[in-house]
Amino acid sequence: MDPLTLAIAATPSFVASAVEFVEATTIVLAVGVTRGWRAPLLGSAAATATLAVIIGTLGVAIVTVVPEHLLKGVVGTLLLLFGLRWLRKAILRFAGIVAIHDEELIYLRELAELREQGLRKNEFDWVGFLVAFKAVLLEGTEVAFIVIAFGAAGGAALGSAVAGAIVAGILVIALGVALQKPLTMVPENWLKFGVGAMLCSFGVFWFAESLGMEWPGDALSIPLIVATFLAASWLAVRMLKTLLPDGAQIEARNV
Amino acid sequence: MFNGIWSTLVGLLIEDGQLAIGALVALAITWLLAAAGGNQTQQVVGWALLAMVLVLVVTNLYRAGVVARARISSVRR
Repeated sequence: MDPLTLAIAATPSFVASAVEFVEATTIVLAVGVTRGWRAPLLGSAAATATLAVIIGTLGVAIVTVVPEHLLKGVVGTLLLLFGLRWLRKAILRFAGIVAIHDEELIYLRELAELREQGLRKNEFDWVGFLVAFKAVLLEGTEVAFIVIAFGAAGGAALGSAVAGAIVAGILVIALGVALQKPLTMVPENWLKFGVGAMLCSFGVFWFAESLGMEWPGDALSIPLIVATFLAASWLAVRMLKTLLPDGAQIEARNV
Repeated sequence: MFNGIWSTLVGLLIEDGQLAIGALVALAITWLLAAAGGNQTQQVVGWALLAMVLVLVVTNLYRAGVVARARISSVRR
């Protein structure tokens, strides 16, 4: 695979993984800045090792045991369900009905909570370790799901998905280390909007393929499906802004 | 990790339950179309699924907007 084709194939996994890495990095940074770096770095390393074991055992078992069309059907269903959830929330946020996800606010809240819990000298910081472990494991599980989903076709697709996630991880962590602050300049809602549309599109594409459909131009249909989702989402934002011109800023679960 | 899976499931089935159920119904209809129809039908099921999902998203969000508007007016009163 030439570098350009690899870059195009790795983009969905790169963008989706970047969102998850931003969330995990924000929490690890908050722990490191308030309580010192040893415990959160050990917690992150332990979570990464746990994830590697889970993916190594489950991932290999799934790819080798489950028939390809069944795997595409199941993965397509999951992608569509998760994608619709992301897309719905992103649209509600753009329309001002649900509050925008604010990394700066999450970071400050995490800092305040950690400072409240205090820390004794010469004692291993288990709170810092566990907070970082939990954040990296949870967001890492989502990255693993994204990689398995986008790489479900196997071979080159899996390689591209893994490459996209690795590059996203390196970039986000490097930015976090360089800035030592939450990555507020990453337009998270825009990313979630785009990723939601991409997850839904891959979901529709693979579910139909699992039923025996051959899309015109094969994977070239995907950009067209993504564009259709984006156009419908834009229409939905306009519709909601007409219904509620001043927004609402209420909890997502209440709508 | 199980906490994360659990909160995602709760989010999917309770917070966004109607959307998830609607999507599962659309997938079931698509599967039935492919199983019952001939080869020609099989080649258009993807477009049918896409159309159903788009209608589902727009309808669900319209309903969410109406619910939010009703909540705001009841708070103002």
